[in-house]
Order: sequence, then structure tokens, then C-alpha cells
Amino acid sequence: MVRRVMPVTAILLLALAGCAAPKQQTSVGYVPPAGNHKVVVMRPDIAVDVLTVGGLLERREDWTITARDNVLASLQAQQAKRGGQTQIAITRESAGGEDATVIALNQLHQAVGQSVMVHKFSPIGALPTKKDVFDWTLGELAVQYGAQSGYDYAFFLYARDSFSSGGRAALQAVGALGCIVGVCVIPPGGMQQAFASLVELKTGKLVWFNHVLSSTGDIRTQAGADALVEKLLEGMNPESQAKKKKKA
Amino acid sequence: MRGSRRQFMLGVGGCAACMSGLTNARVLPTDLEALIPAGYKPADADERGIWQSIEQIEESIQTSPQLLQAPAMHAYIRSIIERLVGRPTPDLRLYLMRNSSFNASMFPSGMMIVHTGLMARVRNEAQLAAVLGHEAGHYFRKHSIDQYRSIRGKAAAMAWLSTATSVGGGAYAAAGYGGAGNWIYAASAINAAVTMSVFQFSRTHEAEADAYGISLMSRCGYSPYAASQVWNQLIEERKASAAYRDKRYKDRSKSVLSTHPPTEDRMQDLADTAEFLSARNEQAVFDGRAEWLAAVEPHRAMLLDEQVRVNDPGASLYLIESLAQDGWTGLLRYNEGEIYRLRGEAGDQEKAAAAYAAAAAMPDAPPEAWRSHGYALLKAGKAEDGRVALNRYLEMNPSAKDAGLVRFTLAQ
Repeated sequence: MVRRVMPVTAILLLALAGCAAPKQQTSVGYVPPAGNHKVVVMRPDIAVDVLTVGGLLERREDWTITARDNVLASLQAQQAKRGGQTQIAITRESAGGEDATVIALNQLHQAVGQSVMVHKFSPIGALPTKKDVFDWTLGELAVQYGAQSGYDYAFFLYARDSFSSGGRAALQAVGALGCIVGVCVIPPGGMQQAFASLVELKTGKLVWFNHVLSSTGDIRTQAGADALVEKLLEGMNPESQAKKKKKA
Repeated sequence: MRGSRRQFMLGVGGCAACMSGLTNARVLPTDLEALIPAGYKPADADERGIWQSIEQIEESIQTSPQLLQAPAMHAYIRSIIERLVGRPTPDLRLYLMRNSSFNASMFPSGMMIVHTGLMARVRNEAQLAAVLGHEAGHYFRKHSIDQYRSIRGKAAAMAWLSTATSVGGGAYAAAGYGGAGNWIYAASAINAAVTMSVFQFSRTHEAEADAYGISLMSRCGYSPYAASQVWNQLIEERKASAAYRDKRYKDRSKSVLSTHPPTEDRMQDLADTAEFLSARNEQAVFDGRAEWLAAVEPHRAMLLDEQVRVNDPGASLYLIESLAQDGWTGLLRYNEGEIYRLRGEAGDQEKAAAAYAAAAAMPDAPPEAWRSHGYALLKAGKAEDGRVALNRYLEMNPSAKDAGLVRFTLAQ
């Protein structure tokens, strides 16, 4: 049996997640692409793990396949609403450009995205040089890919979801018992972490970035995948950008 | 995975001394059956998950710029694997990677990686077969999944112990029996011992893979002594490397935190096993030296260049001098010069110049030897001889990347 986190842990984790509430980042003067831009949605990097008793993340093939299909379907539905010429690249072949470039770009995005998470979204990792700027880039490689494939923008998405195994849930329950005697050590449960970027292929720059860190949600279901994509992309459309500017 | 040695470390605190009594027993090559049949596909969820995660790694290896494009060498190494296994092996996918370290690795899904550093060091087909057989042993004996499951089990036990200790200790203290300190110390000691057993388990796998590999070798007629020779060469090379840096050779795999058994123990066990197998085996053995030398010849210049550029003069000189036991060649002399040039200590410039001169005196000198020889002569004030040598370089390699630079020198 596989279950999400125990209630007490959920509260603790929510408090943690609260520190890094979703706050999207954009480069200066960002205007969301609308109209006739060609946007490619790069093959999303998605994996779903089971969290074992001892805290190891163990990949689950079936969950991962389901989650990937779900997220792709959500993205497709989202993009259909947006207009512009969007292509969803499921395989590396459909992404256009050379295999090596597409794979390297996906890996680079993962590394750059994680760096953005550490240095822009976590107070501990904040860098003075990145304080008021958002100037991350995928560099020459992205420009090269744009020239090869003919796209104007590339959208990247990285998502990991995990769920406690039955044993882990039992361990958490025992840990919670300790609270009665004053030693409250509860091992954490599964987590959902995702980030997405929009990269302008003319310059290679990340023009938009957002992330989600949550102890709830389940991308193994279509509704869960829709919720994640919605949360990640909610600030990307022109209306919300305009609202933000008015407020400022 | 069975990737790079000793990179996989868990956060361990102390207690190394209390486990040092553990020994690494030799595994006999008999009774080691292949656990993976041809066309194997995993059924268990954990194993399927591991295969899926590896797919992504394999994809990036397939498009990696470090991948060595050498179809003939690839086919040759494949044929050795198939000979060892005794059947066609489409399930084992071989990748040759540009990496100067002496290593090969096996992933549980059948992806096998052979480093160019290994190709640079083996002296015959049997030595290469020894390493390939060892890696095949990890695959056919399902070591990765075994190791993973063992770690998962131990991590679970440790998590239960820690949680139970904090709850139990808390209850103990709450009941008025005093502090919970002793409980926690006892639990940490047990956890440290369990962590140590992870490394011990890994070393047992390595010993088993050694035994499996050597039995494959012996079965298809390779000299089983080749396996211990590989380790002997490696120890000698590491000693030479340490001596050059004025350090004493220290085998890092002697630590209780090592995933591999001590190198000298492995060498001895393999030699003993070879003795055992030879006594049972009447058929003639062969080491495939001519075959290996023919296969590696087109890549020798690249392999030496890669090693020399690591700038480990002791190890590189050891390799060059070992290869020179079959006779010095222009290529070997040129690389000898490069080792001294890159080291650049007092007197090295002269040593390099002498090596370049020796290379240029040989009929098979590579073009680069003439270039280096030419510049060395110019530096020594022998302008005319230097110009002749540089012109020779341009004649031999008119489209060299640095041809413009050399022409500029000549125009001065």
C-alpha cells in the first residue's frame, strides 16, 4: 500500500514549503510570447519515485510513464488555449535539431534550473550578484538549436514526484508516537518538485522561470498533472503579467 | 551502479576500527551460474525502475562527445565478449569512452562501458578479456540489483532503529529512568556497523565478479594468469607514479570504506585461482597478443596522447617504458619527449630534446616528432637543422592545424 504523508508531517512540510512559495521569475522587460511565435515544448523530464522506509527514492517505471503521459496531455491542453504555433516534442527526434544538442540542452536545463532554485528561491543560497537580476542562460547551445530547428522559444519542464511506501508511512506513524513522550522526530514523506523555463532561442536566455515545491498533489492522475501544470504556468500569460505591472 | 570506484560513499561517522577484523574471502570460480538468461527483461518493480533510470544515462552516453568512434575496435571487443559468454550478446551494449583512467563499468541493464585508459594499458587480448569477464560477472550475477536491495534493507533497518530509539529513549526518560543518551549511542554504533557492512557486501561482489570472469576466461581458452597480470601492472604503474611525486604508494582500496577489495589481495586471489584452474584444465591456453596489438595499433597515438596529457609523469613513463620492451618506436620516443616537456622540471627540456631527436632518427617517426625536434633544435641554436626538421613536418602534414604557426617560425 502506498500512501501520501502523515498529517503531522504534512503540516511540517507545508510550513517548509511556505518559505519557498511559488514566485515566478522573469528577465527584465519580459513579454510573454503571443501570436505567431513558434514554441517547442521540449520532452519533459519527469520521474515518479516511491520513498522507501530507509529514505531511498526508488524509481517506479509504471508511475513515471503514466505521469509523463498525463503532464504531456495537460501541456497540450494548456498550449491549445494560448495560440501561437506550439509543438510538443515527445521524442528527441520530434524536437528538431541534432540528437546530441537536444539531449545536452535537456541536461543543461536541469542543471541551470536547479541553480536557479538554489540561488533565486532559497534565502540561504541567495547571491548578491543575482539580487535584482534574472540573467540565467542556456548559452550558445540553445542559439544553435534555435537555428537548426527554426523555433523561437523552447519550453522546458522538470518534475519529480514521490510517495511514501507502506513501510515508510508506518515508520512516520511510530515517529509521531514519540511526540507523546516529547521526542518528536518524524521522517519526511513524499514530495513534489517541479520547475519550468521558457528559453528565448535567439539569445539562449531564460526569459521566464517558475517552480513548485509541494507535499501534496499527485501527477499520476490527470487531475494532479493538470493542477501542477496550472500552478507552474499560471503567471505566464499576458493578462497576469499586465496585472502584475499595474499592481507595481 | 558499478560506476567509478569508491565514488559512492554514504555519510559515515567513525567506527572504522571496530570493523577492521573483516576479511575478504576468495570466491571459488566453481558453482557461479549466470542468473541472467539471453533476452532477460526485469519483472520486479524496483529492477524495472532501475532500468528505466539507466535509459536516460545511456541516451546521453550515445550522444556524448566522449564516445570513441572506432567501429573496428568496437567489433573486436564485442567479439571477445561473445567468445567469453559463449553466445551472441545483443543484450550487452558496449560503449567505448574517451577517458584516460584504467576502468570499465557495467550497468544492470546491460550497458557496458570500456575506457580508453584500459585500452592503453592492457598488453594482450587475454588481459582485456579478464576485465570484460569481470564486468560480465557483475551483470550475469545481478550484483547491482542485489547491492541496491541490500542497501534498501539496511537503510530501512537503520531508520526503524533510529525512530524506535528516539521514541524508546524518550519514553525511558519520561518514565523517570534518567537520560536517553546510552540508547542513542548504542543505536549509532549499530547503524555505523550496518553501514560498514554495505562496503563489505560490495567487496564480496567484486571478489565474485573476479572469480566469474576468470572462469569464463579459462573456459574459452584464455590464459587465466592474465587477470592477475592486469593488477600487477596497475600496482607497478601506481608505484611508479607515486615515486615520481616523492610519495609512497598507498592502496586506497585497503580502507574499510572501499567498495573494492585491496588491489594486492585481488591480484593474489586471481593468481591462486589461475593456478587452481590451470591444474584442472589440460587444453592449450593463448593470450591473443598479436590480435590485440593489431587491433590497437590504429589507436595507439591517440591512447598515448590521452595518457600523456594527464600529466602524471611517473605513470606515463611506466606505460611508455613497458611498451618499449617490445622495441622503441618513433611514436613512443615522441611521447617520452612530451612527458618531459609537460613536466618541465630542471633538465627536462634537454631530456625532451633528446627524446625528440631519438624519435626523428627512427623511420616511423610521427610528423609531430619532427615539429618538436625542430623547435628543440632552434632553441639549442641549431637554426639550420631546426628549419630542416620543421620543413619535414610541413611536408609530412601540410594541413596540420598549426601549419601556419610553423610557417611563421620559418619566415623569421
